[in-house]
Amino acid sequence: MSDALPRRTKQRARRWHRYLGLLAAIPLLWFALSGVLLNHAQILGLNERMVTSPWILRYYNQLPEGSPHTLRVGDRHVTEWGGELFLDETALPLGGELLGAVSYQGQLVIATPERLGVFDGSAEMLLELDELSLPATPLQGVELFEGQLHLAAADQFYLLSEDFFSAEKSARSFVKTPTKELPPREKEALTRAVRSRRGMPLSRVILDAHSGRLFGWPGWLLSDLAALGLVILTLLGLRLYRKRRS
Amino acid sequence: MARVFYTIVLLLCGGSAFAGPKVHQKPSDFIRESLGEIPATRAINLSARQQGQVRAILGKNYKTRSVRYWTKGGKTAFILEEIGKTEYITTGIVVKGGRVETVKVLVYRESHGWEVARAAFTRQFRDVTLRADGQISKVPRNIAGATLSVRALTKLARLALFLEGQK
Repeated sequence: MSDALPRRTKQRARRWHRYLGLLAAIPLLWFALSGVLLNHAQILGLNERMVTSPWILRYYNQLPEGSPHTLRVGDRHVTEWGGELFLDETALPLGGELLGAVSYQGQLVIATPERLGVFDGSAEMLLELDELSLPATPLQGVELFEGQLHLAAADQFYLLSEDFFSAEKSARSFVKTPTKELPPREKEALTRAVRSRRGMPLSRVILDAHSGRLFGWPGWLLSDLAALGLVILTLLGLRLYRKRRS
Repeated sequence: MARVFYTIVLLLCGGSAFAGPKVHQKPSDFIRESLGEIPATRAINLSARQQGQVRAILGKNYKTRSVRYWTKGGKTAFILEEIGKTEYITTGIVVKGGRVETVKVLVYRESHGWEVARAAFTRQFRDVTLRADGQISKVPRNIAGATLSVRALTKLARLALFLEGQK
């Protein structure tokens, strides 16, 4: 009688150990593998490799907040969405409130309160001017008048030189160009582009898959259960080991 | 119990301190401090060949095709930006006679790796030169957990030395 109870307990522990081990095997294998990958992310270049797969990127829902507002320059749309700037569907390396955008000498000049960005026809930035090269900040607007570039900054008006590096006070006054809401068709195209084109570093995706966060609450719940399973497996294993030893 | 509570509060506050961009110095203040005043802005318009050389240093094109600089008394100051992991690190670099005189992190936006902004780290770039193979004469010590930021600053020091020769 005194021998039967430990044997039954032992059998139960062994059974639990077996089934739990089987259940947790795949997540644990993933934890181990992804953990090793993350530990060597730099050597493996996982920070530089970008994941662009739309089905993964949709989990990151990188859409900016608010609604997109735009200025039309020729047949292009310069859009501000949650402080991010886009030229049609391409993200620009310039951020902030969109104060104005004009086409000047075949270049696109975009003003935000702190910076003036000069772009070629694509999204490549030729020049970025800040407080160091601007006559004053914050900028309040940019305008093209009689082929010359005018700036409104800190309640003053300036005429900017052709190379953008010098300015003289101007008598011309103007206000910030009002932006318009991006038309639905363009908004849909931009939404699609933002969702799918903005890559995520592979290391970030592996980290989020490692923790389960990538798949929302079911993901982290599964991760937690697998981790809990590992703790129970260890305890059961230790218990079985001690029984075998004794 | 109270000690544990305050420790947790302190840790949480400490964490939030690194949440946003940290401006160590305004670029205009850096130029003024380094050159005594803010001279007129000049720019190097990178040709296709020069862009290729920049790509060899950074592994990609520089953020802009024209790179601004300010020069006075033989010193040239650059305000350069490079991505650490996901955000730009704004760095002020002064070069004189082919040697780095000052490197200073002006704006740090990453959540990790802010240790590169410490003077003890940036001092290592002082008197560094560009070797014939395009590498710098003295590689700075790595900082655990800030490897990408260390690399970004090293690349910017190389870039500044390269650009000084292209004026």
